[in-house]
Amino acid sequence: MSSLLSKIALTIAVSSSMLLAACGSSQQESGPATVTLLTHDSFVVSQVLIDQLKTDSGITLKITTAGDAGSMVAGAVLASGIPNADVMFGIDNTLLTKAVDAQVFSSFTSKNLDSVIPELKKDTGNGVVTPIDYGDVCVNIDDAWFTKRKLAKPTSLDQLTSPAYKDLLVVQDPATSSPGLAFMLATIAKYGDQWGQYWEKLNQNGVKVSGSWTDAYDSAFSSNGGSYPLVVSYATSPPAEIVYAENPKPTKPSTSVLTDGCYRQVEFAGVLRGTRNEQAAQQVVDWLLSAGVQADVPLSMFVFPARANTPLPEVFTKFAAKISQPLQLLASDVNANLKNWLSEWGQVMGR
Amino acid sequence: MIPALFLITLLGVPLTNVFQRSFEAGTSFDLSPQLSIAFSAAGQALVSTLLATCIGLPIAGVLATHSFKGRAFTQALVTVPFVLPTVVIALAFRELLGSALAPGFLLVVIAHTYINLAVIVRIVGATWQQLDPRKVTVARSLGASPIRAFMTVTFPELRAAISSAASVVFVFCFTSLGVVLVLGNSSTRTLESQILRETSLLLDFPTAAITALLQLALVSCVLLLGARTSLKRTSAVSTLRFTRLRPASSKAQRSYVFVIATIACSLVLLPLLSLAYASLHNSAGWTLEWWSSLASVDSGTTRLGSPLAAIGTSLRYALLTGVVAGIVGVGAAIGVLTHRLGRAVALIALAPLGISAATLGLGLMLAYGRPPLDLRSSDVLIPIAHSIVAVPLVIAVVLPTLLATDKRFAIAASSLGASPTRAFFTAYGPILRIVMIAAGGLAACVSLGEFGAASFLTRSSDPTVPVQIVRLLQRPGEQSFGVACALAMVLVLGTIALVAGIDALGKKRWVR
Repeated sequence: MSSLLSKIALTIAVSSSMLLAACGSSQQESGPATVTLLTHDSFVVSQVLIDQLKTDSGITLKITTAGDAGSMVAGAVLASGIPNADVMFGIDNTLLTKAVDAQVFSSFTSKNLDSVIPELKKDTGNGVVTPIDYGDVCVNIDDAWFTKRKLAKPTSLDQLTSPAYKDLLVVQDPATSSPGLAFMLATIAKYGDQWGQYWEKLNQNGVKVSGSWTDAYDSAFSSNGGSYPLVVSYATSPPAEIVYAENPKPTKPSTSVLTDGCYRQVEFAGVLRGTRNEQAAQQVVDWLLSAGVQADVPLSMFVFPARANTPLPEVFTKFAAKISQPLQLLASDVNANLKNWLSEWGQVMGR
Repeated sequence: MIPALFLITLLGVPLTNVFQRSFEAGTSFDLSPQLSIAFSAAGQALVSTLLATCIGLPIAGVLATHSFKGRAFTQALVTVPFVLPTVVIALAFRELLGSALAPGFLLVVIAHTYINLAVIVRIVGATWQQLDPRKVTVARSLGASPIRAFMTVTFPELRAAISSAASVVFVFCFTSLGVVLVLGNSSTRTLESQILRETSLLLDFPTAAITALLQLALVSCVLLLGARTSLKRTSAVSTLRFTRLRPASSKAQRSYVFVIATIACSLVLLPLLSLAYASLHNSAGWTLEWWSSLASVDSGTTRLGSPLAAIGTSLRYALLTGVVAGIVGVGAAIGVLTHRLGRAVALIALAPLGISAATLGLGLMLAYGRPPLDLRSSDVLIPIAHSIVAVPLVIAVVLPTLLATDKRFAIAASSLGASPTRAFFTAYGPILRIVMIAAGGLAACVSLGEFGAASFLTRSSDPTVPVQIVRLLQRPGEQSFGVACALAMVLVLGTIALVAGIDALGKKRWVR
């Protein structure tokens, strides 16, 4: 049912963007061009939108993926100025400064930037990247586990160190996992200089550290057969549980989200410095922020669209946690301190 | 010469690119964390290698000398763990042992042993098949116990193959990535995982390059040691008449074969069965849904193609890799025998074992991923990366066998007036055919399961099966997990079929 509704929403969004594009395209006179989009393995967009881009602007979009976001940025930094692609999508706020310092991007932000939710555009790397989507990393809760034991679900990060929740939380190693890193940054943003002590308390309270999100979520999380009812994951994991469930889909997810201590990840797109296709590349960044792609983002990648007032699918409005006060650190702070933070975390956790 | 050229262009150029770019910003280094990681990784690798060798040798012996029902199946099955993506193996072990064992040293060693059993069985087995069984028979008839016969007759002839195989296994465990990420803890870090952390997380390229060089140096030392032993021509004279597999002759022998084969199969099958169970099960009970949605998941999106399409892609790369790595590897091995500089080439060709997948992937992309030579769009970079990874294994399979072949055939042929080439092929031709099929098959298997280097390469077409599995595992939902397990099972079954097919092909040729 929800998928039917979302399809309708998508069709409306696509056709309205088609109309808009049809109105605007008469003034442009770009010839046929191929733009290569460099992105990470998790990138997904509906094929119909790529066909749409071709019809509207004559641009053929080629997608190349380069491992996870870290590998992708590493490759882009090494190839700065002589890029393998024209546009990069999927760099987040933890890695942004590295890429900006290495002059990976040329100066450009989308003409649609005005439509972006205000707090997301605070940092555009001095006008080189455009925010496309965002998501929050939060502790997820196996509701059934807590109901069965008549134990109240935790409501704050502080509570996770209390004896009532001993041996219940599984996190990921920040050195090997993106949500693991985000959760560590969340504790730094929340506790400041005291963050090391917080982790000492977590450690004493039996926190388990997994190497990867997959290992933590698919194996250790009690909702999936493990023995830990609290796991670091995403605010959109509950709706994803529904979308990727077996038919017939359950009517509501069996997991929920601890809305305190969530870390916000913003994903950006930018034109790569050295592209031979500057103008067409810019159009692709605009396209990523167009109403059509933005409406596609939730069900494709399980993140929230950066464009304000984008209609969300029902499964999102019903089950995705809305985080009113997400935690965030300045990209430049992360860049300057990450190495030390990681080794401090390693010392505290004995890893 | 061709292998040398292949390696220089596809290994030398990319690495130069990475190191050049990495060192553009000069920094000072503190190598103490790297050294302590190297030390603990060496301990872990040593234990893993010892275990894999001790368990692998009896299996290799039974498979190489006896014919029995299910032999081809057993041989294929033992190869499977080596080919499966480490993520899948790690997952299977978690399903099996996760509740009993916490991530750490023991779990890593068990997984490494499991994966590398195939290296011992196949490399040592390739030589073992060609030993003259009559010698053991003679020793036994003179009153030697089976163990004594093995120690005095068989073992000396196998020493080259064993040290070759063991050094390869050691290097695999020393440079392991996927297993230590998922099943390890702080005590099981490797330089490879350190390099990954330095490149993709800290983007600290100079330090990563230094770490990569350190790893390369250490691995080269190990391989040199292994090569010193394995390049010594075994004194035993072997004949060109290959042994046919023989059925067990006595009751004791029959039960020995039965016990070893059963142990081998159950060792390999146990984790795989937990995977199969997961692919046929959901929270409610038994289901076929995961298998039936193999073709349909993610259609209509840019997750190009369904999981089913990934199988086609993987097979294509595997075939290419088998051919390329087979030719290059066997060429390099021939070079060692015939050319003055051959040994140097062979050692260089073993180097990819020690070059981190991350470094290799980044290097290939830098060197060939942009004009003037943009190979990225043609998608040949992936089979190239796979070939580079597979060539050392091919050499490890081929070289001991060639060295064990009687050189006097070539001498006899030349003295009868044959040209050097003709003499070479008269002596080594029959063996080369068998060995090339075995080696090409192994390379194809490496390609099927390879994830490390390939994951760093940009790709524009369908993902391979391992990449697709990892993508599925990286999102929530019962369906993602179930389909990933089903896809992993397809890889398992496909590998068993491929390996059994290659083995059958090889056997047909040499049992004349």
